[in-house]
Amino acid sequence: MKPALSLLPRSWSREKRSAVAIALAMAGMVLFLWLLAIPLSWMPEPIGPAAELFATGAWITLKLTVISGLAGILIGFVIAMAKLSRIWPVRWFAQFYIWVLRGTPLIVQLYFVCFALPDLIPLQLSDINSAIVALALNVGAYNAEAIRAGIMAVHKGQTEAARSLGLSPWQTFSAVVFPQSFRIALPALVNNFVSLLKDSSLASVIGVVELMTIGSRLKAETFQPAPVLAATAIIYLAMTTIMTQVSNAIERQLDVQNHQ
Amino acid sequence: MTVATETKPVPLITAENVDKHFGSFHVIKNVSTVFNQGEVTVIIGASGSGKSTFLRMLNRLETHDAGRIVIDGIELNSDMKHIDAVRREVGMVFQSFNLFPHLTVLENVTLAPRRVRKTPKAEAQTQAQALLAKVGLSAHVHKYPHQISGGQQQRVAIARALAMQPKVMLFDEPTSALDPEMIKEVLDVMKDLARSGMTMIVVTHEMGFARDVADRVIFFEHGQILAEAPPGEFFGNTKNERIRAFLGQIAN
Repeated sequence: MKPALSLLPRSWSREKRSAVAIALAMAGMVLFLWLLAIPLSWMPEPIGPAAELFATGAWITLKLTVISGLAGILIGFVIAMAKLSRIWPVRWFAQFYIWVLRGTPLIVQLYFVCFALPDLIPLQLSDINSAIVALALNVGAYNAEAIRAGIMAVHKGQTEAARSLGLSPWQTFSAVVFPQSFRIALPALVNNFVSLLKDSSLASVIGVVELMTIGSRLKAETFQPAPVLAATAIIYLAMTTIMTQVSNAIERQLDVQNHQ
Repeated sequence: MTVATETKPVPLITAENVDKHFGSFHVIKNVSTVFNQGEVTVIIGASGSGKSTFLRMLNRLETHDAGRIVIDGIELNSDMKHIDAVRREVGMVFQSFNLFPHLTVLENVTLAPRRVRKTPKAEAQTQAQALLAKVGLSAHVHKYPHQISGGQQQRVAIARALAMQPKVMLFDEPTSALDPEMIKEVLDVMKDLARSGMTMIVVTHEMGFARDVADRVIFFEHGQILAEAPPGEFFGNTKNERIRAFLGQIAN
């Protein structure tokens, strides 16, 4: 994975190379999950016979992570903008949101969305959708702080230069500040994404049949915790490794090219 | 250079009794002056004398607490329409260049014409290429700011401001962040600009530039204009003890 970015043609633009590197890594992830059952099935008892289950569980884990991760970036952006708003109730709401979501355990949030929310609003979500909502809301709070820090880190001179050229506040934000802040925030956002992949294991407590659920059921059925949990951990590790490699590639790319 | 002033001078910027505090610090004290069309004014003074703050007020990067600033018939106040209208006519060059690091040299120059003036892309690029040729940077149009030297970055910043076809150009210590060998290339571009008849207000410590190019030198001290005179008079006839001391320090 490491040289994926440098193997791409130098003549391509930075954006194109980044995009292609990310696409390649995603394809790698899909390929990994698709083929995962094959090497697992060669393993001895108790892993081999459960190979298909592990592969399905890993697939659900990825699905949880990607959907809630993307939604979490959107939530993070909205909350970050709200926290920087000049209107105090909006700012206060964002502050409150971040305070609550970062200050309470994710497992409580999962239970809350799954069991308490249906009592409060007439909306019954499936287990997996409850998990996606809770994970997205949670990672959104962390993303908001990353995006806000990115916006604050853009030098004041950039805004002054843009405004002195006659750009409106919105044009200044969209064309000058935001593209730079997103690059600053990106490594933190990718980190949050990797953490999310691990945190998604908590969805097992509300009955989502993802990788952790498969592992703990198998452990209970076979009475062989060591090989089962080791296999579960190794699959998580492989998935986070692929994601971390992407984040490193992006960070290197930005670090080399982004300083003035 | 002073041909324009021999005919009747046309005031472009008028500042009347301008005043400003930063908290309890009285940074600008009742400053009044007029900048005429086609004139080059150099503002000098020690750090903290308020000269940069005054310059930044002229496109409202700083607000003034009292007094009036009128630019080309538009009064600068909290009315955003006025501020935007003035900023389109007033170009600004900063000490730290403030190029947009995520855009190429060409994109830096075309951004404002395309977004603000709605100039079509091809036309904006043609204009930008011409301006970049004028400041000697045709070879670097597709590079990013960090790939060129400080002097080149500052010349791009000048081209970027000129792309909006401003009526006046403000320079806030444009060479202070540069290595000595790069100062000349920036000053040469500024001299060419002055000769082309651009109205310029320059905060600088470059006394050679003031002598050669300025129509008028303003000396700022403790938020006030202590003296203003044509450069010959200003540098030749320094009766004022404070100014003499300042010039002595600069010369060393």
